[in-house]
Formats: sequence, structure tokens, C-alpha cells
Amino acid sequence: MASVLLPASLLLAVLMLIPELFGDFMAYQIGLYLIYGIAAQGIGYLWGKTGVLPLGQALFFGVAAYVTAIALRDVQGLGAQLVLALLVLAVLAGAAFVLATLIFRGRSESGPYFSLVTLALAMIAEQVAGTATGLTGGFNGLSGFQSLAALDPFGGFYYVIVAATVLVSLLLLILNRLPATLIARAVADNEPRLQLLGFPTHVVKGMAFAFSAVIAALAGGLFASHQGIVTPTSTGFALSAELVILAAVGGRFHVFGPLLGAVVVGWASAELRDSFPYWELLMAVAFILVVLKAPGGLAELIERAFRQAWPAKPPVPQPPLEAPPPLAAQAAQPLKFQDVELRIGVVRILNGVSFETPATGIVSIIGPNGAGKTSALNTITGNLHPTGGSICLGDARIDMRPPYRALGSGIGRKLQVPSVFFSMSVSENLTIAMMAGRARRLDYLKPSTFRWRSAALARVLEHPSVPLKDEVTQPVGTLPQGHRQFLEFAMTAASAPPVLLLDEPCAGLSPDETALMTDLVRQYQAETGALVIVIEHDMSIVEAISDKVLVLHQGRVLAFDTYAAIRADPQVSMVYAGGTK
Amino acid sequence: MSLVLILNLIWQISTLALVALGLAIVFGKLRIMNMAHGEFVMIGAYAPVITASLGLPGWLQLPVCILTVALVAFVLERSVIRHLYGRMFDSLLATWGIAILLREGVELIFGRGYQSVSPPIAGTVTILGADYPAYRIAVIAGIAVGFAVLAWWNRRSKVATRIKAMVGNPELAQAVGINTARLSAGAFVFGCCTAGLAGLVLAPTIRIEPMMGLDYLIRAFFALVVGGLGSLEGLAIGAGIIAGTQSLLGALASQTYGYLAVLTLSILFLWLKPDGIRPSSR
Amino acid sequence: MKKITGLLASTAVALALTGGVASAEIKIGVLVPDSGPAGLFGPSTRNAAMLAAQQINAQGGINGEEIELIFADVGVPPAEASQAALRLWKGDGVAAFVGMHDSAVREALLGRFNGQVPYVYTPVYEGKSCASGLYVTGETPSQQLAPVIPYLMEAENVSKWYLIGHDYNWPRDTNALAKEYIAEAGGEVVGEEYVPFTVAEFDSSLQRIRESGADAVLITLVGGGSVGFNVSFAGFGLDDQAIRLGTLIEENTLAGIGADNAGRLFSSSGYFSSIQTEAAATFASDYTAAFGADAPPLNGLGQSAYEGLMLLAALAEEAGSLDVAAMDAAAEGLTWRTPRGDNTMIGRHMAQTIYLADGTGGAFEIVTSFDAVPSSEACDG
Repeated sequence: MASVLLPASLLLAVLMLIPELFGDFMAYQIGLYLIYGIAAQGIGYLWGKTGVLPLGQALFFGVAAYVTAIALRDVQGLGAQLVLALLVLAVLAGAAFVLATLIFRGRSESGPYFSLVTLALAMIAEQVAGTATGLTGGFNGLSGFQSLAALDPFGGFYYVIVAATVLVSLLLLILNRLPATLIARAVADNEPRLQLLGFPTHVVKGMAFAFSAVIAALAGGLFASHQGIVTPTSTGFALSAELVILAAVGGRFHVFGPLLGAVVVGWASAELRDSFPYWELLMAVAFILVVLKAPGGLAELIERAFRQAWPAKPPVPQPPLEAPPPLAAQAAQPLKFQDVELRIGVVRILNGVSFETPATGIVSIIGPNGAGKTSALNTITGNLHPTGGSICLGDARIDMRPPYRALGSGIGRKLQVPSVFFSMSVSENLTIAMMAGRARRLDYLKPSTFRWRSAALARVLEHPSVPLKDEVTQPVGTLPQGHRQFLEFAMTAASAPPVLLLDEPCAGLSPDETALMTDLVRQYQAETGALVIVIEHDMSIVEAISDKVLVLHQGRVLAFDTYAAIRADPQVSMVYAGGTK
Repeated sequence: MSLVLILNLIWQISTLALVALGLAIVFGKLRIMNMAHGEFVMIGAYAPVITASLGLPGWLQLPVCILTVALVAFVLERSVIRHLYGRMFDSLLATWGIAILLREGVELIFGRGYQSVSPPIAGTVTILGADYPAYRIAVIAGIAVGFAVLAWWNRRSKVATRIKAMVGNPELAQAVGINTARLSAGAFVFGCCTAGLAGLVLAPTIRIEPMMGLDYLIRAFFALVVGGLGSLEGLAIGAGIIAGTQSLLGALASQTYGYLAVLTLSILFLWLKPDGIRPSSR
Repeated sequence: MKKITGLLASTAVALALTGGVASAEIKIGVLVPDSGPAGLFGPSTRNAAMLAAQQINAQGGINGEEIELIFADVGVPPAEASQAALRLWKGDGVAAFVGMHDSAVREALLGRFNGQVPYVYTPVYEGKSCASGLYVTGETPSQQLAPVIPYLMEAENVSKWYLIGHDYNWPRDTNALAKEYIAEAGGEVVGEEYVPFTVAEFDSSLQRIRESGADAVLITLVGGGSVGFNVSFAGFGLDDQAIRLGTLIEENTLAGIGADNAGRLFSSSGYFSSIQTEAAATFASDYTAAFGADAPPLNGLGQSAYEGLMLLAALAEEAGSLDVAAMDAAAEGLTWRTPRGDNTMIGRHMAQTIYLADGTGGAFEIVTSFDAVPSSEACDG
């Protein structure tokens, strides 16, 4: 708790001292910077954690500012005004959530398109605000209303801003220490992986966006009361860009970064504007330098310097906690492909694939490169949707579901190239895996969730030869390839899915590690009675583990039988002798 | 629909396509969200001002335009842009700073005031009974020929394929002997030069001042988004939809509705068809 | 290079000024647009204000006290602009303001000043501002149009007007009045449209003007939009069909439009650099003497800062102080002379001479002038 309360109280103390030290006018100026800083903090969270860059945040800032201005003019009584404020925040949050989830649904990236949507929305808002003179006062703005509770903008209202700044910072500091933010960071790190762990990433992004929108709206409300006027510039493109710049310069990865950026940039431009004619040139160069040389902004530079003087203490390991059982428990079931076709553009990848696996056991998929092995797995998890035919697990059709529903249907998947959360530590990776398929809504807000461990995970981690035990605090980016393979296997096995898909689990492993991996796969199958489907090139491994072997060639099933029968099949021999491999 | 309306539409579409072409290369191929694209249009539009102030003859406008823009683009690519390949949002931020830098730079040299450029072909011509500025007809024809040549070259040359290979996998491209540094610098400079060219041909028909670039940036982005980043046809279709919506609604209702419709349309495309009408064959 | 030399010249004058008035008693804040869309007018506005201060001090200052100007850039959004003004007021102890900026900034400042500090607003504006302590020298639509529209309809023999402006308050308010004057003079309005600031092409508007058969176009587009519109207007040969009248087309805008495109383009304003009266000629030569031949060209907006300071000086002399209540009381009926002509304060707006100029050929030539035109926006008391 000290790591939260200490910085928050320091911030409070500094801000409370400003009027005493520098006078009311300076406090008034700082007040405006803090208001921008609050809105930029919301951007910092959204962009720094989930990787989504909002380019139209002034939309929420401005709409809230206009509503506040109208309310301060027309609604009597502080109580009614505050109720209205809560209502407006709720409506904006809802709108932002719906917008982001709709746009992100069915995608697994945070590229520029959503950013451009928010930009276009802000531009629409600015134009409407300028044109709808009756409602907004047009270009000249809406003015002639009192400050909130008739507080003096040069006096008492500063403390309202301080309270809001400290509260938002406190909220962010706490949030950053909760599992919810771990999931948000995982979105930026490796979204496809997170989807395969059963997290609907579009909902995660929608919530983060709604959160940042509420913060921007709160700042907008303060702005109207502080300035006594709202004009279309408060809801437009330029302010949106400005807020992003504040977050970038100050540092989007830190709670206080955007506040720092707002005060530094605001103060510097106010000082320079009238004393140095080339100030815009100077600011532009400084900004380019920050983007190129210090992408983490001022806050990261400060933190680096601070950490050199006072290195961070390694986290104290917490005793593990038995994780709750998976929310949807299923039994192993046979997987049925019926005439599955897959075309991408003009390329035919699967040409009527049909087979039915047993309900349990290990099935290997082999075939030359380009046979459609990985694509077949992609259709099972919903990363690709077949253009014909159907895929059933037991009696349920699964082929049109999005990837985040796969785990809920009982399908876990390990990808070809080890796909883990590279910017996080091993233990953070494992925590996300533990939450997969188990966490309920409130668990995202409980720190105890970090300590969840399950028996299935323990079996992998405590296997005497698995290397991960001694590496729990290390960032995954520094692990060797082989260790990442084991980590991803452990993460996939952690939720004990009754259907486990493994795409070349032994790629890049040494002979010893290969033996260990095949051991682990067999052990998993034996203990859970699961159906395990493995793509494998190495025939000795195939022979060692397979109950049945599926041979794919040019998007068709060539054979589906025991290893011995496959071995004797002249057609299969021909394909392999043909020299593709 | 009157003939002038159709000619206006063709003018809008062809000039927007020319403005967006460079952005299609820089954003579509190099994945750099170049917020300074409009500023290259602006620098191109200043080329006649440069030649006039140096007392050079009019035919030097084109070489002066290309040289100036290429030089600025090359210096920026070597100093800033090359650090930003693969960092799309950072490229957006840094080029935003570059845009300010270029605006302020031009302002330092030429001042804040408006410049005026006379068209090399004055007056109007009568086509099927409609009066239309002769210069615009010449520009439309020029752009059409230019795009035809570009499409032909694009089909024959391997440069586009190489750029695609480079962006898809820089290490591999380097390994098979593609000089990625030269290729990306070349693509960036070429993209900026087409923007400068657009500024030069537009110059006699628009206002010229340091802040003019922003007008062209946003529309170019939306044209790309609607059309898709993959192909010249996509670019033409995107420019057609964006310019067409603005022109038609501007003519039928009001320019404000036209503007709002363009924004709304862009949002719908970004949402429902993020790869545009002609997606690239990735 | 122009800007650099201009800056050097301005700095030299500024140094000379601050050197001469080291013992300044009254500080006056001058709010100019150095950045933003109106940044073009920053340098000429500064120069005009410095020239005014020089002349006021040469004649003994205000109420015997020398004045010192402190500038602030308000070419920024209203929140930042009012911060800049407050720095001057609360930080530097400025006793009065002269402002040349947009209306949104004015509304923001009025909310902050609250009638506690005299504030002279100088550019062309739409009217409808009557806060205590506010004095207006800028032309309002009624002044620029009431005498000019009937005159042009008679002299140029036009009657069918097309109104085009940017989509915001000033053009809409201007056109509301224009319609009355056109109707009174027996003309008709054949079209009216508003264009967003973000739209830079006017083809469909031009086509509509062509089809409307208009023989006169009233332009309330501002800045770059006005340049773009007028360039295309002439490009389409519409200058043969209709005359153009603008109420915010000054020397810089005309230069951007270019001589080729300025045929039959009229402008109505309280000031042009080509006014030939003795007072105006003296002013222009003083300006050149102070800032050099390369100085940013004079124009109605830049020059208005000079008017603002002169009004402030006249008002403060009349009131005997810079106290708002005393100045409010002294304002009504105050008369004084400036390069614009003989001015009278009526309802805290400036009744002034309005000039009609023809831009054909790329330079304004004064066609006629109307003396002592009052504003319909006059405020009570």
C-alpha cells in the first residue's frame, strides 16, 4: 500500500504548496495544465498499457465541457449538477465502450484504424459545435455561466482540480497494481495469444477506452468550470493532438508522466511564446528528439536516474493460492472435420478435409510444407473461418466462433513460434495463464489473483528437468528459445483444456529438451485424458507419441491411421519421397 | 448533372489521387504515418515562388520543385524517418513534429503572407458549351497520363515487390541482397516528390501559405483508407469516393454536410472495411 | 528573409522604446496574434501598436504619464489566450488592454476581466458585445455594408446578390444585416451558403454562383479560404459575371489572390494603406520611417491596434484616469482624430469613416468614402 499512498501524498503536498509559494495566479495557470494533464493521464493508460492510441480524446473532453457549461448555466443546485455530471460520465463511458468494442471486434491488432476513427469523430464534433450556434454559441463559444459551486477560479476552484488530480492518480496507481492492468498490458504485448487464452480482447480494449474517455470527460467538466467559456477548439483535432503530445513527452508508461508533460509543456510554451520568436521550432525539435531518443518520455528518464541511485528491491515471492476450478468444465470429445474448405483470396488452402478423431489420445498431423497443417489448427480455434464444410467438437459446431471462444469450448493451443508475453516476467505470464478460463469479474480487481497456481501447472513447473522454476522473475524476452517453448506449453496446459493443440512443440529444442517435451505431452494426456493434436515433422517423435497419425497433402487428407499403417502406405511414401521434405 | 459538375468531379478526383499517391507509398508500403505529407505539398506549391524570387525562368519550376522536395525529404529520411520503420505510432508523432518544423522553416524564409502564382495557361476553354479553366483541363490530362505510366511501370518493375518484401521481413530482404536502406529512402523521397509535384500543379488554383498543408493531409488519409492501401485502382476509387462525396453533397446540399458526410463515410469504412475496397494482397 | 529583417526592425524599435520609457508609469497590454491562423497579422499589429505608443509618449503620454507596451501572443485557443492576458494583468501589472484577436478569445477575456480593467477591442467583428469596460474601434457589419451596398448597386448596376461565408458567427451575423440592406435597396438575394473552415475547394459553390445568375457576391470568407475562393472565382471566369465585395479582404489577402484574379473585387473597411488623406499619408510615412521599407505591409487589421491605443489614450485623458467607471462615463460622444478620419464614440463603438476600395489590378484604389458611419451595435450607457 505504501507504494501507492506515498507518491499520491507527495503529489498532494506539492500541489497544495503551489498557491502558498507562488501565489494564486500561478496556481490558476498550473490548474489549467493539470486539467490537460488529467485528460492526458487517461491517454497514457490506454496507450501505454493496451497500445491503443486515441487521436480524438478531445471529443469526450469537449462534450463534457459543453454539457457542464449548459448545466452550470441552466441547472440550479450543486446536488442536481453533480448527479447530472455522473449521468454524463456514465453515458460517455457507455458510448466509448460500445464504439471501441464494435470496431475492435474480430480484429487482433490495435493498428492505426481505430485511431483514425477517433480522429474523425473529434473532427465531426468540432464542426457540429461550430455550426450549431443555437446550442453551443458557435465559434464564439458558450460563456456567461458561474464556476462550480460559485468557487473562485483564481482561488477555491484550484483545490477542486487538485482533488481530481490526486484522485485520478490514486486510481491509476491502484489500478496498475491489479490483475486488470496485467490483462490490459497483455493486449499490447501479444493480442493473438491473449485471445487463445480465452480473453475477449475487444472487450478489454473497450473497457480501457471507456476508462480513458471518462477521465477525459472529467477533465473537460473541470475545464468548463475553470475557464468560464467553452469553444469548438475544446473538442477538436488540435486539442486531441496536444493531449497525445503531453502524454508522449511526459511519459505514457507512468502515472505521473502525462501530468509532468502537461506542466512542463504548458509552462515552457507560455514562457517562450512571448520571449522567443522561434519557440514553435524549438518545441518541434524537442518533441522529435523525445520520440526518437526517449520513447518513454521524461518520466522514464527520471525513473532511470532514480533507479541508478536507488535500485528497485526484487519482489518478495508470495505464497501460492489454489486457483478456482475452470468456469466451464468439459469432458474430452471427438473432433470432427466435415468437408472443410478454406480459401484465402484465390489460394485454396484446404480442399475438403474430412476426418474424425477419437475422443482421447494423441493424434499427430504430418505432411509436407504447405499441406495446410497449421491452417487446419487455425480453423479449429477460429483464427481462420472455413469457406465451406463444418468442424464439430462432440455435437457442437465450433468453426465460426472467434478465437477467444476456443478455450471456453475446451480447446487450448500452443502456437508454432513460441508465443508468450515477451515484455513480462515468467510469473506474470503464468498469472495470465492461470486467469484464463477461471477468473470471474471481481477477480480482476483482487491482488490475490496474482498468487493463483493450479495442479496442472505445478506438474509442469515441478518436473525436475523443466528450467522455469529458477526464472520466475526474469523477463521472458531474455529466456532462450527452448525455455519459451516450455513456458508456452505450461501456460497452455495450465487451464487443463480437454483438447490441446500443439504446433511443433519441439521446434528449436535440443535432444534432451525434445525428450522432456514429449514426456510432458504424454504425461498431460495420461493425467487429463485429453485429446492432444500435435503437428510434428520429426518421424521419431511421431512414432513415439502418436495413437493415430493424420497425413495432409495439398489441403486434402491423404491418410488417417496408426503410425504403422501410415508407414506402410505407398501413397504417403510417394509424397515424402517426392522430395518436399 | 451538368458538364461542369462532372469536370469538377474529375478535377477533384485526379488532384486528390495525385496528393494521396505519395502517402499511399509512404503509409501503405513503408508503414510510416506521415503527418508531414501536406507540408511537402506546401513546399511544392512554393516552387514557383522560389523561381520567381531567384529570377529564374518559368520552365525551371518543375526541376526546382523536385530538387527542393527531394532534398528536404532525403535529409529527413536519413535523420529521423529511418529510425521509425516498424514504429507506426512513433512515426505519427515524429512526423507531426516535422510538419511543424517545415511550416516554421518556410515561414522563416518566405514570411507568413499569402503568395500568388499565375497559371501558365490562362483563361477558360469551351467544352460542349461549358466554360472551364484551360489550366485545369491540362492538369487533368497530365495526371491521367502520369498515372497510366505509373501503372505500366508498376506492373513491369520489381521495385514494388522488393518494397513489399522489405517491409514484410527486413532481415530476410537484406539477406537476399536488397539494399533496404537505399530502397526505403528512395521510396520515401519518391513519395514526397509526388506530393511536391501535386503542390506545384495545384499552386495556381489555390492559396499558398505555410499553413496550407493540413488541408491536404486528412483528405489524403481518408482516400487511402476508403480505397485500400494495396493498389493504384484502390487509390483512384478512394479518391473518387472521398472527392465525389464532398463535391456532390457540396453541390446538392451544403459544403458543411459534404464535409460531415466525408468524415462519416471514412468512419464507416474504417470500421466495416478496414482494408478498403481494394485490399492489398498480403 | 522578410520575417527576419522585420523582426530585427521591430526589435530595434522595441529597444528604442523601452530605452526611452525606462520610467514608464502605465503598462498597457497589447494582445496580438503571433501564432495560429491570424499569425499573418502579428507583425503589422505589433508595429502599429509601437508606433502609437511612440506618438502618445512624444505628446506626453496618458494623463502625463508615459506608457509602456507589453505584448502577448493570443493567436492560440481561448483558454491559453486568457492565460497569456492574465499573466500581463496579474503578473506584470498591466492597467489596460488593447486586443486584436478573434471573438472566441474576446468572450473568454471578458469573462476573466469582468469589467475590472479597460479593454479596447480593435478588429472587424460581428457586434453584440457590450460588457462593461469594453470599447470597440473595429468596424461592425452595419458600418461596412449599410452605405456600401446601395452605393455599389447603383454605381455598378447590380441587384442579384450571392452571399458566401465561412460557417461561423461573423459571416452569419453579417449576412443577416446584408439581406436587410439589399432588400431596402431593391435588390434580391439569389443564394446564401456557409463553408466549413476545413474545406479548401469551392468548385461547387462557384458552380452554384454561376447558375444563380448572381451579379454581385458578398464574401465573408476569412484568410486562406478567401484567397482560395477568389483565385478559383477568377479561374472560372466568374469575374466577368459578377462583382465581388468583401468585408475582410485586406492587403495581404489581396496579394495572395493576385492581380490576375482581382478583377472587380471590392473591399469595404475603415482603413486601407492607400487612403490618400493627409492624416493617413503621414501615418504611412511614419510607419515606414520607424520600421523600414521592408516592414510588414499596413492593413486594416494591423492598423487597428494603432486605433485602439489612440482611443485608449483619448478616453483616459477625457476620464482623467484608467478607471473603468470613469471611462464608461466619459466614453459617450467622445471625438478624436486618427489616420482613419474623425471618430466619435457612440454606445462604446466607434463611428468612423468607411472606405470602399477596388482591388482590380492587385492594389486597392479608394473608390469612395462615407463619413461618420455609426454602428448599429451601439451599447447602452
